[in-house]
Amino acid sequence: MIETTIPRGTPLPRIRPWLGIAAAASFVVASAMALFWAPTDAVQGDVYRILYVHAPLAWLAYLAFVVVFLASVAWLWAKRPFFDAVAVASAEIGVLFTGLFLVAGSIWAKPTWGVWWTWEPRLVTTAIMFVMYVGYLLLRGLSTDFSRRATRAAVFGIVAVIDVPIVHLSVLWANSLHQLPTVLRIAGSPALDTPMLVTLMVSLGAYTLVYAYFMSARVSLELARQGRLWTRT
Amino acid sequence: MIDRIALVAARELRAERRQPDGVVAAVTFIAVLVLLESLVVGPQIARDADVASALFWLALAFDRELEDDALEGLVALPGGRDALFGGKVLSLAVVLVLVAAIGGLLSLVLLDLPVALPLHLLVVVLLGVVALPPIVVVDVVLALRLRARAALVPILALPVLVPQLVAATRGTSAALTGDALGALSWAGLLFAFAVVYTVVGLTIVPAAIE
Repeated sequence: MIETTIPRGTPLPRIRPWLGIAAAASFVVASAMALFWAPTDAVQGDVYRILYVHAPLAWLAYLAFVVVFLASVAWLWAKRPFFDAVAVASAEIGVLFTGLFLVAGSIWAKPTWGVWWTWEPRLVTTAIMFVMYVGYLLLRGLSTDFSRRATRAAVFGIVAVIDVPIVHLSVLWANSLHQLPTVLRIAGSPALDTPMLVTLMVSLGAYTLVYAYFMSARVSLELARQGRLWTRT
Repeated sequence: MIDRIALVAARELRAERRQPDGVVAAVTFIAVLVLLESLVVGPQIARDADVASALFWLALAFDRELEDDALEGLVALPGGRDALFGGKVLSLAVVLVLVAAIGGLLSLVLLDLPVALPLHLLVVVLLGVVALPPIVVVDVVLALRLRARAALVPILALPVLVPQLVAATRGTSAALTGDALGALSWAGLLFAFAVVYTVVGLTIVPAAIE
């Protein structure tokens, strides 16, 4: 049995303005730290500063698709429309951030590797992840019935999450041009100077707040859309 | 449940036997690709173990996944949806084994490929074939009765199949060139993928079968 009412008393509309202010403020602080406070890299020079955009975008892409997975499991378990709204919101935001992740990577690759794109495991697996979630959105778009669409999308959302660890670990599994992990290293502490690490952590926090703000807005929109659909039917 | 899976698989295989066009088309497709490859890149490159293996597995993956009409009829069958999924996976695996055996032998003969480790090659091909159907059937079920499903199934399935295709290609290449450890490592990965996706499929796909 599908619950056909929007959850009442959701705190999303109340916290969204504060979330937006926090996201914007932290984004400005993170950008200022990345551009002016973090020291210049001894090898790459100022080009490396794109790391403070590229790495948070990668983190958000992973986070968004893991949220799709969790929301998909929750939908299949409880059949509450809220979980489907979370899944579609996170998938759309994840596709956006994965696209930006690829673009930021290309901008960094040109001065560093001399090419915009190369057939390298991290790039290819990321592009595959991008296509995979475009397929997820396509699957949703082609289904008309709400419950069937949510169920089909949930099944694919669960199957597709396997690509997230593959993208992250691809640089370890294959001989790769891409640099190895500098923060989440298997052996030893992060291979970054403290000011660089602090800037990166602040950037990760700021981008996560941006994700949370986008999510709150998109989930509210989706719930309103579901409400309109049910009112019509 | 095993009885019901066997029942669905037997029904599917009977249908395949009555109309073996799919298997014939699949084998012909592999042969045409091998011939085209030799003409386009030249016999020297075509005989490269990596290139020949990659082409074989891509041909196999492309070939079977568009076949989704059979499921329409199966949905009407009595029995659990998990049995439907299991039966379809089993029958597809059996058909793929047949296609891989004939297509593989054809590739070996046409390309005059030396096989350093035949037993390892057999294990890799068998596990590679077993690793493909769970994903294909999941995506066929998801695209069932949707507009543009012919385009949707490859869009959904091929990106998810990438790890299996890479493992199968590398494993086959290793077996052809005599790297026993490499072949068995990739075979182990294929086995893991087959088990994981079969369990995931049996658990969640029945919910998507209407």
